[in-house]
Amino acid sequence: MTQTISQKNQQIADAILEPVLNDDAINITNVTVSFKTPKGIYTAVKDINLQVKKGEIVALIGHSGCGKSTLMGTISGMVAPTQGDVTANGKTVKGPGPDRGIVFQNYSLLPWLTVYKNIYEAVDSTMKNLSAAEKKELVESNLKMVKLWDHKDKLPGQLSGGMKQRVAIARAFAINPKVLLLDEPFGALDALTKSSMHVELLKLWNLDHREKTIVMVTHDIEEAIFLCDRVVVMNNGPAATIKEIVDINLPRPRNKKDIVHDQEYMRIHDRLLNLLIDKFSIED
Amino acid sequence: MKNKLIQTLLSVGYFLAGMLILIGIWAIISKITKNEVPSPTMTLEVFKEVIKQPFQNDADVKGIGTKLLSSLGRVGIGFTIGSLLAIPLGLMLGSSKIMMNICNPIIQILRPVSPLAWFPLGLAIFKDSPQASIFMIIICCLWPTLINTAFGVSTIPQDHKNVGKAFGFSTFKYVTKIMIPYSLPHIFTGLKLSVGIAWMVIVAGEMLSGGSGLGNFVWEEGFNGGSVAKILVAIVIIGVVGLLLDKAFSALQKKVSFTA
Repeated sequence: MTQTISQKNQQIADAILEPVLNDDAINITNVTVSFKTPKGIYTAVKDINLQVKKGEIVALIGHSGCGKSTLMGTISGMVAPTQGDVTANGKTVKGPGPDRGIVFQNYSLLPWLTVYKNIYEAVDSTMKNLSAAEKKELVESNLKMVKLWDHKDKLPGQLSGGMKQRVAIARAFAINPKVLLLDEPFGALDALTKSSMHVELLKLWNLDHREKTIVMVTHDIEEAIFLCDRVVVMNNGPAATIKEIVDINLPRPRNKKDIVHDQEYMRIHDRLLNLLIDKFSIED
Repeated sequence: MKNKLIQTLLSVGYFLAGMLILIGIWAIISKITKNEVPSPTMTLEVFKEVIKQPFQNDADVKGIGTKLLSSLGRVGIGFTIGSLLAIPLGLMLGSSKIMMNICNPIIQILRPVSPLAWFPLGLAIFKDSPQASIFMIIICCLWPTLINTAFGVSTIPQDHKNVGKAFGFSTFKYVTKIMIPYSLPHIFTGLKLSVGIAWMVIVAGEMLSGGSGLGNFVWEEGFNGGSVAKILVAIVIIGVVGLLLDKAFSALQKKVSFTA
């Protein structure tokens, strides 16, 4: 009897201390995701183990359909793992939550709401204990941060792709999540806009004292190296697994122009290219 | 600016050309039938006479305007009640597959029933013909709005739903900020169809029910009164009012539409 009580106490103590002791912002343990399809069960990702530390920026990279978005979905809570579990900020992920801000692949702004309202509604439903004035202030500061305050009354349909992307990022930042999840956030942008968005993102991350954990899905090697601390390379699906995790030991702040001449950059770039591409030229 | 002016002038031109052709065909038919069908000019004379005192409202003599308003009033009441029932029901059906599966057979059976078939039922229930007309309008306004609303809600893209999930929208916020705004253009398609059907049905209903209204005008003053010209006058008025209703709802629909 006494033993069970002490066991229980131990469990409670563990539960309380876990977020303190555990430095990981995200902990993916033995995660497998399968879907039922008309042709039978399709396993997207299999036996994935991944830990992401607080304040770390990590990219998931791989070919189309390799399950990187699915894996991301298990962190955001949009996809439930068939096996294994995911913890974020010390709590098991059971569904989407305001501690994890998401920037969707296709921006996902509500087309009938103005830029301002798009952010306000997100703030309004996640920051319930703020006063109306505080909420408005939060929307304003985040819109100014992405330099879209002048466009606040426009509808998403009146904005360019890059501007929509900035609204989506401002919306994710406004709810002040501990973890930021970016699903191919810059995929639809032209090279120039993309490049300046990279710098913008890091600026925001710096302004926030590098405390936000960022996980991003991408298939752009240069983007992954410039932004991230680690790059998780995935095998091709079905039943995709982690092929290799590549550390990016480049000092920050990184300079977009100089970094490409860095020896370490070139080594990492080569390594990633080798991991992702089997053939480099056509056979005669 | 100049282009817009030309566009407007062109569309006015096309409209006038269409009207001229219609009146031409009408005049030819009138000639062939040896004025059994009155010519446009004869009809115009009768029209002028009819609208001399449009809002006369004595016990035994009522002006065409009064009749028009009474028909519009009934359509308005029936359409409003029907829509207030159909929209919430449609939102519910669209968001629940189970509800949809249960209600779909009911809708499929009741929808093809001619609105006029509901009239005697309404008469049996309300023992009053104007109320029976309104009952009939309510029923015929239900289906298009119900079906279009449910369709709108059931096609909300996963992207929009995900926004609600990711940012923890309450059910109320989801309904008011995502479900209804997305479905609004569909709802208005339903409303436009409903009001069109209601306007068609009211004339038939009033022919059956007697009393006041445009249908009564067609039947009593036109057919029984032996004036085919009055029937034609009524047809023109009914057509023009129907067109205006349709245009009004199209404008409203445009207003609530959004570009993705």
